[in-house]
Amino acid sequence: MTPELTALTLAALLQLVQFGLMAVPANLELGTGKTLGPRDPKTLGAAKLDALVSDRTGRLFRAMNNHFEALILFTIAVLVVTLAEQSSPVTQTCAWVYLAARLAYVPAYAFGLVPWRSLIWCVGFSATCVMLLAALI
Amino acid sequence: MTEVTILALYGLLVILTLILQATGAMTQLGMGYLLSSRDEQRTVSGIAGRLDRALSNSVTAMALFAPAVLLLEVTQSTSNASLLAAQVFLIARLVYLPAYALRITGIRSLAWMVGIVATIALYLLAL
Repeated sequence: MTPELTALTLAALLQLVQFGLMAVPANLELGTGKTLGPRDPKTLGAAKLDALVSDRTGRLFRAMNNHFEALILFTIAVLVVTLAEQSSPVTQTCAWVYLAARLAYVPAYAFGLVPWRSLIWCVGFSATCVMLLAALI
Repeated sequence: MTEVTILALYGLLVILTLILQATGAMTQLGMGYLLSSRDEQRTVSGIAGRLDRALSNSVTAMALFAPAVLLLEVTQSTSNASLLAAQVFLIARLVYLPAYALRITGIRSLAWMVGIVATIALYLLAL
């Protein structure tokens, strides 16, 4: 397994952890009546479930959704680099930088570290960009 | 140009969409709000809203397109037809973004439709 694929596997596992970090407090705060229900806006009292949770849980929710988006792009970058056999020290470093940034992103969001959360996001985003560009060169 | 190259190019197109969406959000909501924890929900409107919706649609399209390319590569079933379908997909998505941003009704839906049909064709070709 290439370092890029290892980083991708760990990033996917991070996504599962992030799901748990969001789902456990959300269920504790709202009760299973709301989370297991059909979440119709009228009975829920809000357009979406995440509008009803505490600030901290809401942040973990947004951090999870943000990683979905980032992970799809990162998956493509790893896939392209691997399939095109373009793996290099640059792409390998980028893969680890991405993973480290996404790990740091979760506490940065949960604790509201401004502007660190955005800077950390930028690091992960740039690493993905570089991998995609490196695959084309 | 291979299907994998097209996938890389599409990834970059989504990144461009994201940068445009972030720029729109920045002008409407302000840098302070974007850097904050966004505990209070705020929404964008107009072109920034359209870019926001275009981005989430592009991410969905990407989540469907990428596995199709992966399947074709792993099963080594790429062909002229699959290359054409991938090219059509990329062109459709290149049309989709400005069509949504500039509110060109009809063309946007048509481009979306062409993109999804090309994606379906890729899955069928992989089988």
